[in-house]
Amino acid sequence: MSERPSPIALHKQLEAIWSTPPGLARLSSVNHTILGKRFMALALCFFGIGGLLSMLIRAQMATPDSAFLGPDIYNQVFTMHGTVMMFLFAIPMFEGFAIYMLPKMLGARDLAFPRLTAYGFWCYLFGGSILIVAMLAGVAPNGGWFMYTPLSSKPYTPGINADVWLLGITFVEISAVTAAVELFVTILKMRAPGMALSRMPLFAWYMLVTAGMMIIGFPPLILGSILLELERAFDLPFFDPTRGGDPLLWQHLFWLFGHPEVYIIFLPAAGALSTIIPVFAQRPILGYRAIIAAIVAMAFLSFGLWVHHMFTVGIPHLALAFFSAASALVAIPTAVQIFAWIGTLASGKPRWDIPMLYVAGFFIVFVIGGLTGVMLAMVPFNTQAHDSYFVVAHLHYVLVGGFVFPMLAAIYYWLPHISGRQSLYRLSIPAFWLILIGFNLTFFLMHLTGLMGMPRRISTYPSNWGWDWLNLLSSVGGFVLTMGFALVLADMVLQFRFGARFRRDPWRAGTLEWATATPPPSYNLASIPHIEARADQLQPALIGPTLAGGQGYLGFARAGEQETLGVNMVTGAVEHLITLPRRSYLPLSTALATASFFLALLFRLYWLAPIGALVTLGLFLVWPVSLGEKRDKGPIDIGRGVSVPPDAEAADNVTVLANRTALAMNATLFASLLFGGLFLLVVAPNWQDTGAAQVPLWAAALAILAAMSGAALAARARQGNARGGTTHLDLILAVLAQLAAMATTIAAVLWLDDPTGHAREAVPFVVLGYAGLHCGLGAVMSAHAFWRLTRGYISARRQTEMVLAALWNGYAAGAVILAFGLTGILAMGGAMP
Amino acid sequence: MTAMTAILSHPLVRLIAGFVVWSVAFVVLYAAQALGCAYGWGDWHRPILWLLFLLALVPMAWLALLGPRHDHQHALNMAAVWTNRAALLAAVLIFLPVTFASLCQ
Amino acid sequence: MLYGSVLLFALVMVLFGLAYLRPAWVTRITPSQWIVGGGLVLPIPILVLLTGTALVLGEQLLPKGDAPLRFKAHAERWQWTFIYPDGREMSDETLHIPAGQAVDIAVTSEDVIHSFWVPRLGGKIDAIPGHENLIRLEADEPGTYWGQCAEYCGPGHDGMWFRVQAHAAEDFTALMEGRR
Repeated sequence: MSERPSPIALHKQLEAIWSTPPGLARLSSVNHTILGKRFMALALCFFGIGGLLSMLIRAQMATPDSAFLGPDIYNQVFTMHGTVMMFLFAIPMFEGFAIYMLPKMLGARDLAFPRLTAYGFWCYLFGGSILIVAMLAGVAPNGGWFMYTPLSSKPYTPGINADVWLLGITFVEISAVTAAVELFVTILKMRAPGMALSRMPLFAWYMLVTAGMMIIGFPPLILGSILLELERAFDLPFFDPTRGGDPLLWQHLFWLFGHPEVYIIFLPAAGALSTIIPVFAQRPILGYRAIIAAIVAMAFLSFGLWVHHMFTVGIPHLALAFFSAASALVAIPTAVQIFAWIGTLASGKPRWDIPMLYVAGFFIVFVIGGLTGVMLAMVPFNTQAHDSYFVVAHLHYVLVGGFVFPMLAAIYYWLPHISGRQSLYRLSIPAFWLILIGFNLTFFLMHLTGLMGMPRRISTYPSNWGWDWLNLLSSVGGFVLTMGFALVLADMVLQFRFGARFRRDPWRAGTLEWATATPPPSYNLASIPHIEARADQLQPALIGPTLAGGQGYLGFARAGEQETLGVNMVTGAVEHLITLPRRSYLPLSTALATASFFLALLFRLYWLAPIGALVTLGLFLVWPVSLGEKRDKGPIDIGRGVSVPPDAEAADNVTVLANRTALAMNATLFASLLFGGLFLLVVAPNWQDTGAAQVPLWAAALAILAAMSGAALAARARQGNARGGTTHLDLILAVLAQLAAMATTIAAVLWLDDPTGHAREAVPFVVLGYAGLHCGLGAVMSAHAFWRLTRGYISARRQTEMVLAALWNGYAAGAVILAFGLTGILAMGGAMP
Repeated sequence: MTAMTAILSHPLVRLIAGFVVWSVAFVVLYAAQALGCAYGWGDWHRPILWLLFLLALVPMAWLALLGPRHDHQHALNMAAVWTNRAALLAAVLIFLPVTFASLCQ
Repeated sequence: MLYGSVLLFALVMVLFGLAYLRPAWVTRITPSQWIVGGGLVLPIPILVLLTGTALVLGEQLLPKGDAPLRFKAHAERWQWTFIYPDGREMSDETLHIPAGQAVDIAVTSEDVIHSFWVPRLGGKIDAIPGHENLIRLEADEPGTYWGQCAEYCGPGHDGMWFRVQAHAAEDFTALMEGRR
């Protein structure tokens, strides 16, 4: 690597390795720039669909006694409006933005698991399509985006509508789950060398916290969806009060996701604001440390206020008081951020430009939303305003103010990065005023209609109640708002088509993404910089050319490999060289197999579903085949006189961290399930005088013993391997032990009484089933390690697969113990008063 | 205490430690409230909640009083100090209703 | 709450405007003054007072102490059935209560979740299958008050209205006597 090629030659060499060819081969792309753009483009399509639905709603509500849409259609329309905007627009939009932006901002060449990004995208596309096709076929979900049971249970929604929601959304959530794990790991492990956590740009901090929240927040929703689908498909009574279920369990699970969700949407937008505002204030952000503290506080507090959606369900006042106080206090970290932003502007030399116009819109709209939020946190006010149009107004002020306005500011700020062109600014100003005026006209008036007593989700209203002219004006405002969005869309198209090209860093920004060429090349940076200052105070226009000249790390193309760097989580010291997998059709084929599973469930072809699941699992097992090393390579040159080991030889690599993260997520799901079982035992009606769910003690003892042996053997294999010993036998025994545990657990499940009879049987049925499934997964992981061992991929230094086997088997043993524990508690619970 | 200090030497752990304790306390208090009503703890209910409340404050106060570590992660360490103090404040204010609010109505 | 909100909103907007107008005194505010002043000193006392007041008020609204007359409201798709304290059923989805005194209403549901809401009398309470929820209301004046289902309950949700007829105390007694 002594001779340095010219920047153009280096660009050509790297492009040959990283680029995705045109044509059908685009389907095999795993590149984060391409996938980030796809996520955002698809999210904007869904935003358009959601917007059209909202136009239908406003057309219907414009006049009293309207007969434009009947209640059947109207219910589908408002359900789909909420569902599309939340799950198909807001979440994927910020995921796509983070997927596109984070590696560039952090100085990496791609995300940690490029194929997983692609798989997530296909899941999003297919899952979203299921919902839209169902809507076009007239069988869209109609139970509200919150899908309250028993309305969404079989007796009251006999059609396919609710299944479309449960299965389609769960399918889409796979993309949220993969994105959460991937972003979390990438932010922690794949930064430019020298970028310690305390030098990381605030946007990365916001996304780190968001990803952490998604890891804890999404499992309850996924669990709730699984349980409700099990109830609908197989009549397991989790939410049926006549058989020991409780509709409130659904509400707890849904809002345990649903409220943090609001902050999951807000935090990335706030991260964008914390990036944009300092650029236009022309000074570093004020209160970097305070903002980190504020977002951590916000993340935790947001998990302590889900019950404020349930103030009217009859919960004791003390419990309401916890959630009311938490809901009020969450305003404090928000205020810290708001004043940090205003203070940044006030103490800098602010200049005015289009993104700042939309930032001003954010301040106006979001502050009103925050203030009405504090009002709604107060129990007596809430019981009056709950489920009235006041809440409709509040939530739109928060979500449009907290997400859409920052997103528009971000579009005007970052679109030049994507398009390589600058907007000509003809349309953005009238668009802003149309959006701001239209929005306030639509939604401010809803505060009034709500306080006048108009409930949500009614398809018509009588004309003698004084709501008529307010609703009409709201509808007019809605159409003004739409015109504003149409202008923004036109402006974006014009920018791509006729925008002026520019040199690096048009805004004089301080973050690394502007050091790439624009539009960015497939490999982001021709070489990776060493960061010696806070990474939001860099000078991209100066750094960019030196990096393009290959003067940073990895400023060369080596053996056709896609290389980037792994660093120490905290200090940012470079630790290992990461070789990323090449483009592949595997994500697409795996997603298609996954789709067959979901479609089989949707159309009740229950014989096909297990086949789809097994094919998916089988395809996933093909993924690692192309990865790994067959010999210990030792330190490898990464330029600038530094050598580091490859990721396969690093103990603390991204694969291990990702599996730990995935297990944390999995554990949250299981914990929610255990909580659900205990909740039903304590709170649900009709638990008196039911026979106890008996599982023979020997079965429990045997399963626990076998699962613990499997875990111990996998752990021993890992240690033995690290010492250089042979571990084949340990692994085989681990597989057998875990299979025995699985068989015993399944036998115990079959021992139970009919699980459709009462939740007392249905809960152990699912809990033990979960444990059995994880014993099976533990066996698969041990078998996989055995296979990799025989193929020569594992050595004392290359031990990733051994670590994973130990982790998953340990988890399986824990799951088996807890599952039988809960079964025992439910069996004894009947004896208690 | 040494094992505790070792875990807390990781700046990310320190950053979330206070609020992790807060979360656990939240779950425990909410569960104790529900269990007390379901199984009729009667006059013992509020004293138990009081006790749990005070117990939760002990580790949180300890974390909040812990000064910043002095290493190269200064920004992170200061953020951790403030976060742990915020957690203590949140605990005091959010759990305070156990002292007066109606338990089962 | 409304005036406070208007004031806080105006404050934030004025500060945002001042950030651009940049009078000298604004540029002299230090970073920690912005964060501590705006983020902590300003909101904490307001929030503590507000939440405290709301909780005290909430305690007073709870149905406890002397048990007044207890009515029943039973929801099913998409109508309400009301029952007098003595167990007799009322007709035409109208709840008859005495004015000028607090009454308890026990709310239950036959099928899906509904919500009992008479906007002019007070807050709402959900009707949840398998649960019985209690709400205490008081009509100050005799008269007719409209009520409605406030929890989405399917295609008939928008027509699930009902009436509350509040009678003067002596009229209500007469009503109860007369029906006996």
